[in-house]
Amino acid sequence: MSILPCIEIQSLTKRYSTATVDTLQGIDLTINQGDKFGILGPNGAGKTTLISILCGILEPSEGAVHYSQHQEALPTNSIGFVPQEYSFFEELNPMQNLEYFGAMYGLTAKVIKERTQSILTVLGLGDVQTKKINTFSGGMKRRVNLAIGIIHQPSILFLDEPTVGVDVQSKVAILKFLNQLNTTGTTIIYTSHHLDEAQEFCNQIALIDQGKIIIKGATEDLLTNHSAKDLKELFIQFTGEAYRD
Amino acid sequence: MYKFRVAVKKEFLILLSDKTGLALMFLMPLLLVYIITIIQDSAFKMANQSSMALLVINQDEGEQSQHLIRLLEQSQLFELTQDSTIAKDAISTTLYEQEYLTAVYFPPNFSEQLKQKANLLSGTLLAEVGMNEGSPALQTIATPTLEYYHDPVLQESYSISIMNMIDAYIKTVEGELLINEMCQQLELTEAPAKLREAMANNQVGVKKIAATLNSKSLQPNSTQHNVPAWTIFAMFFMVTSLGNSIVKERLNGSFVRLKTMPTSFVLVLGAKLFVYLVAAVLQVLLIFTLARFTFESIGLPPLTFPSDGFAFAVVVLMNGLAAVSYATVVGTVARTREQASGFGAVSIVILAALGGIWIPSFVLPEFLQLISYGSPLYWCLEGFYTLFLRGGDWQILLPTLAGLAVFIVACWAITYWQLKRDKVF
Repeated sequence: MSILPCIEIQSLTKRYSTATVDTLQGIDLTINQGDKFGILGPNGAGKTTLISILCGILEPSEGAVHYSQHQEALPTNSIGFVPQEYSFFEELNPMQNLEYFGAMYGLTAKVIKERTQSILTVLGLGDVQTKKINTFSGGMKRRVNLAIGIIHQPSILFLDEPTVGVDVQSKVAILKFLNQLNTTGTTIIYTSHHLDEAQEFCNQIALIDQGKIIIKGATEDLLTNHSAKDLKELFIQFTGEAYRD
Repeated sequence: MYKFRVAVKKEFLILLSDKTGLALMFLMPLLLVYIITIIQDSAFKMANQSSMALLVINQDEGEQSQHLIRLLEQSQLFELTQDSTIAKDAISTTLYEQEYLTAVYFPPNFSEQLKQKANLLSGTLLAEVGMNEGSPALQTIATPTLEYYHDPVLQESYSISIMNMIDAYIKTVEGELLINEMCQQLELTEAPAKLREAMANNQVGVKKIAATLNSKSLQPNSTQHNVPAWTIFAMFFMVTSLGNSIVKERLNGSFVRLKTMPTSFVLVLGAKLFVYLVAAVLQVLLIFTLARFTFESIGLPPLTFPSDGFAFAVVVLMNGLAAVSYATVVGTVARTREQASGFGAVSIVILAALGGIWIPSFVLPEFLQLISYGSPLYWCLEGFYTLFLRGGDWQILLPTLAGLAVFIVACWAITYWQLKRDKVF
């Protein structure tokens, strides 16, 4: 089976108007269709900036992003974004949130109704679908955040720290769901600080530090080639032990 | 259309879930309108209709002070309590201890001095017209002075009103005295009674007519003034609710999330403005309806609606739009929810003061009157007053509506610019 490129990033540079140095410095990267791609790096490395550009939230200062399978410069109907923040309405219940964001994705009322039930059930939120989210635990909120990002069945899903601050049960449920989603052909691009989780989940990773890609490739190959027993060791090998606050 | 409908539903549900916000939006303004109107109405009645308690300390033994006191009593404007045993230097203490708000003190030679003055004036006048032999020698006489005491907490305007009334009765006494003196000097014994009668029957009256612009009898009163004014204040106070909602959604990232969706942000913001505009119109309907149908039962004049219903609807919509547009600007520019609430609330109080909600803007210093044109509440109030007090038509409303339109467009321009800066658009 041939591997098709899904996203091609060329010489991507981002400089914020208030910054003195480029946050991203000439990033070149290819993400293939069906990848579970981890963008890893220390704090301030540029992970969120990169994912924000890929989603169309930010404009690059230089360089380009091509979505190989799509005609549009940014195929908003085909990408899903799950931000690090709980970007939904806690005063509403999960069903009402999915109805709202589903409509904003351009889905019809009928489609939203059909998908809402199944997504919430799979994510373990079926019993609380009519309860206000402001009564939920952190793990439940993370799952609602994820449900909103996939209501329109995107072919590319971006996740920014999707498991931060959740309990083990929720983390396992989220990763299990993402693996299932990936087997249906969804390309997953995610950032995380949890290196053990990334090692287990990602088949491809790119390690970013100070706006540059330091290493990239298949997770297993990178560990073997750099004689690292796990991603944590590889991470320290390339980024050092100094604080990055 | 489905997107807009769902966006409106979401805003509506969020608004309904905020019970405190709803109370602030509907119950508090209602309370405000009732309380302010009752207070203003009471103040109006106190100054114009009910008798005012006045302590009289008369240390004069002459007739003129008694005459003046009789006139004050007959006027029924005052409820007099006489106590001539109070020493002059104890008046302030008595006022404080016996809880009087006002007192008037007649000095010992009040009648004598008044008579001397009348004598001098009549003598001079008759000499000038050649009816008296020689001109009386120029002499300095002590001008009689009444002393008016008031509790320092009493409003200046109230005190001035009382002093003006006393002064008017002094003028009557002086006039009568002058005529008496003139007649005496002319050795006329019968004329004063006829003259007094003639003076009493030929007083020039002043008829109060509200300069309304249509035939419908719109009666300016505390209700017509206060209900529209404080309703505008309430409409603009939604800045705390709408402003907060915008800041919250920006901070939690839902604005940013919408950027990854095939949806125009204008639709999202439009739905928000629509729901809050409906809320503003409901505020007006609720407050005005209650003012129309319940005020009478609590002794207040009921609200009289303008005759031009369409013009009224347009003014309500424009006022609502101005309020939600201002709230949108505050919500967009504020970086935190505290900023939106704090700045929003304080700015509305300032804009209300400038806009004439508390006191009419024409009493402001000239430079503040110029600044008041920048207050959206000024234009909103002008719109309502044109309809509720002046009975104005479209021709008079147009400049007001134009002023509001300029404000609304300016708000939208600032909102667009700020959202563009925040990379939301």
